[in-house]
Amino acid sequence: MYLPCWEVMSVTLSKLSLRNARRQAGDYLVYFATIIMVTALMYSLNGLIFSEEIQSLSKLLKSLPAMIVLASIAVICIMSWLVSYTTKFMLTQRSRELGTYILIGLENRQVAHLFFLENIMVGSFAFLFGILLGNIIFQFLRAVVLALFGIPYHFAFSFSFRAAGLTLLYFLFIYLFAQLRNRRRIRTMKIHDLIYFERQNENAVIEKSSRRKKISVISVASGVIGTVLIMAGGMLFGILGAVCIIFFLYGFFASFSSGIPAWFEKHGARKYQGQNLLVFRTLCAKMATMGVIMATIALLFTATLISEGSGMTFHMMLRNRTALLSCFDIIFSSVEPEAFTECIDYVNTNIPTESSREYDIYLGETSELTDYVESCTVYYRCYPKDAVMRASDYTALREMLGYPAVILEQGQYLIHCQPYLKKVLKEWSEPVTAGGYSLMPSGIYTENFAQSFWDVNGQGFLLVVPDEAVQSCSVSHSMYVAKTTEPVSEEQYDVLEEKMYQLYSSKGFDLLIFIKSKEEADMASMMAMLVFPLYYLALVLTMAAAAILTLRQLSEKERCRRQFLLLYKLGMEQREMVKALKTQLIVYYAMPAIPSVLIGVSFIINLGNEVEPGVLTGASHPLVLAGITLGLFFLIYAVYILLSYISMKRYVMAFD
Amino acid sequence: MLQVRKIEKYYGNKNNVTKALDGISFDVEDAEFIAIMGASGSGKTTLLNCISTIDMVSAGDILLDGENIADLPSGELAKFRRERLGFVFQDFNLLDTLTIEENIGLALALNHRDPHAVTRQVEQVADRLGIREILEKFPYQVSGGQKQRAACARAIVGGQSLLLADEPTGALDSKASKNLLEILTKMNQDMGATILMVTHDAYSASYAKRVLFLKDGRIFNELIRGERTRSVFYHEILDVLALLGGDVSDVI
Repeated sequence: MYLPCWEVMSVTLSKLSLRNARRQAGDYLVYFATIIMVTALMYSLNGLIFSEEIQSLSKLLKSLPAMIVLASIAVICIMSWLVSYTTKFMLTQRSRELGTYILIGLENRQVAHLFFLENIMVGSFAFLFGILLGNIIFQFLRAVVLALFGIPYHFAFSFSFRAAGLTLLYFLFIYLFAQLRNRRRIRTMKIHDLIYFERQNENAVIEKSSRRKKISVISVASGVIGTVLIMAGGMLFGILGAVCIIFFLYGFFASFSSGIPAWFEKHGARKYQGQNLLVFRTLCAKMATMGVIMATIALLFTATLISEGSGMTFHMMLRNRTALLSCFDIIFSSVEPEAFTECIDYVNTNIPTESSREYDIYLGETSELTDYVESCTVYYRCYPKDAVMRASDYTALREMLGYPAVILEQGQYLIHCQPYLKKVLKEWSEPVTAGGYSLMPSGIYTENFAQSFWDVNGQGFLLVVPDEAVQSCSVSHSMYVAKTTEPVSEEQYDVLEEKMYQLYSSKGFDLLIFIKSKEEADMASMMAMLVFPLYYLALVLTMAAAAILTLRQLSEKERCRRQFLLLYKLGMEQREMVKALKTQLIVYYAMPAIPSVLIGVSFIINLGNEVEPGVLTGASHPLVLAGITLGLFFLIYAVYILLSYISMKRYVMAFD
Repeated sequence: MLQVRKIEKYYGNKNNVTKALDGISFDVEDAEFIAIMGASGSGKTTLLNCISTIDMVSAGDILLDGENIADLPSGELAKFRRERLGFVFQDFNLLDTLTIEENIGLALALNHRDPHAVTRQVEQVADRLGIREILEKFPYQVSGGQKQRAACARAIVGGQSLLLADEPTGALDSKASKNLLEILTKMNQDMGATILMVTHDAYSASYAKRVLFLKDGRIFNELIRGERTRSVFYHEILDVLALLGGDVSDVI
């Protein structure tokens, strides 16, 4: 059958595109897996935006779409860079092949069309797989959100067309932007350019030794100053610090690449020890052409750790803050005892309670214990004297909370404190004076007792003394606490809150209202709004940066294979080759991670230390959070490193 | 030094067997410079690969200093290659990320020699081969002839007993080829290096003391230079090649 020439060409081109697309998927598996994962994440978070079930959980969640879209905009920028970089990189790797197409008679626009088609084809597959995987991740996120609100999860398959549509919009933006840029690039390229495109490379950024040394010293100093500024806190210092750190990363990697050979020149013998020569010369060659990209990746890793660490810190802070007060279902507190009379009436009428109690927190005669605590640890002083509670109130509250009963003998006092203060207070063995009585210490208790604010049961700690000892003490504030039979509803909280505002505006009474169920719902909403987008951003940043590193590494498989084949012929032991390959990979992947880890960990620890004492303790200590953040980061990073190692080893060490 | 005894090499499976080497035997004496010639597919490179332990023979024995290569356990082969053999390849096979000095020193580093002595040893060999001034340069910064001399230096720097050269002049122009062959002759005569060179270039072969001609996996002829001039020897090689039936491109 006769076909017009263009149609024949078109059919051939489509077949060629399909074949190339298939081959491309194999060569760039890591990249496509990353695209699929990011698409899946995008879809699952978009699913949360459009899920009526999730939106109905709390009024606060109304801001969730805005937060997710904001994070998605950042993700779109990162992914546009990844796709654009990778497509350009593929073009470099395949320029000779594309040049050959032009050499045998295809027109530039046909080759550009071919390249465009195969990338779109592969992109479409990535999108479809991403959406499928996204459905699973959505179910996981849904389960997490429901668990945060204490609602049981039941699997219910759902496909959101609106979420898929929004993901497609993001995806098109990311993909088309990169493809159109490259399409234009190919259309204007000459055969010579294409055939010799792979020879074009980034040049060593700094050639001169003296300049390199100067930049190296200035950049390291800039890194230190940047970290100090960020740790100092504040918006202006933060911005200045970030600028310093960006300068440090680019300056460091640009100077480092040309610094290794200089070091080798000075230490001639070192390079012939063990695997040094192969490992560091390979690293030198890479760094000479990858300085800028390494710095960018280090920057992304730093952003990852900051994002992930902040997410982790906020997560723990919100959770622990709520947990520290949540031993009671309702807490009212005010310096004016009559301030919460109306609220108590409302509770008695509308909210069924198991038990409740009204009591006062007193100020002791001295501030010896507060002074002592303040001198030993980080402590925010709130009272002019030590906070004191009557033994009868304490006993009743312990009973309400289901804690074991405590007997306080005459002439004794005990301390109830937050766990982080126990070590310090254990060292305290001095008597205290209250109401003319000299009391001796009899024990320390650390159960959850609502002690994280000044206007609850003491700030961090309080003294429990015999009732008669407080008779002459002044009252600091009055409290009402209750345990309810059912969680207080959002509507009931709204009524109480309204009363609180009215009291403040009409009588000037300042009233603290803590409702456990409301705080937990707010905490869950804040987690979803703040922590999810931060984790999402962190995941995408890690995957994008690790994908680029892996892609660059795998693109050198052939050169590496030739190198190892020669070493094999020269008599290098196979185990030594494996060792050299491992060391090369470890050093290569560690390079951008080291400065990021140093900066990221400093940031996370500093951020954690900004939180009021007693909240981030034990398993939530800033050091532990930094450790978990690093663990999670390296877990994902390790997947890429492992993939790279397996692929390299299989290809490079095949000598038969 | 080297004794090759009735070696055979087969490729393929039982339905399609190719006999690459067919009962080849010859001896190489200490400090001898021997060339192996033959048309494409005659088995030259297979023979070289078998001697260098990169490939294993199907039958027969190869003895180097009385030691049968076939008896070496696989774990010992790498040690054998790096301590006893030196390689010079057609396409130089220098690592492009290493300087010339490091490429030569690599052979010593692989042998775990004292790192402090490496530079001195490399400089000594480089002096002999006239490449001292390019030691700091990378392979892409030097000429093909210089690269091949660097490869020669790498092949002998560790005191390897046998230098195996596979078409060493294949990628060089005539001037660089001549220069390299003179270097190889110098290494053979002054430094006592034993050289086994595979080539299909009659001019290159004329620098050897003896030439073995391969055809279809067998030794077809053998020429010994003796006291003749290189020019006379060259013409004799051409005569044998004409008999061998190689085409003009093989001869020139």
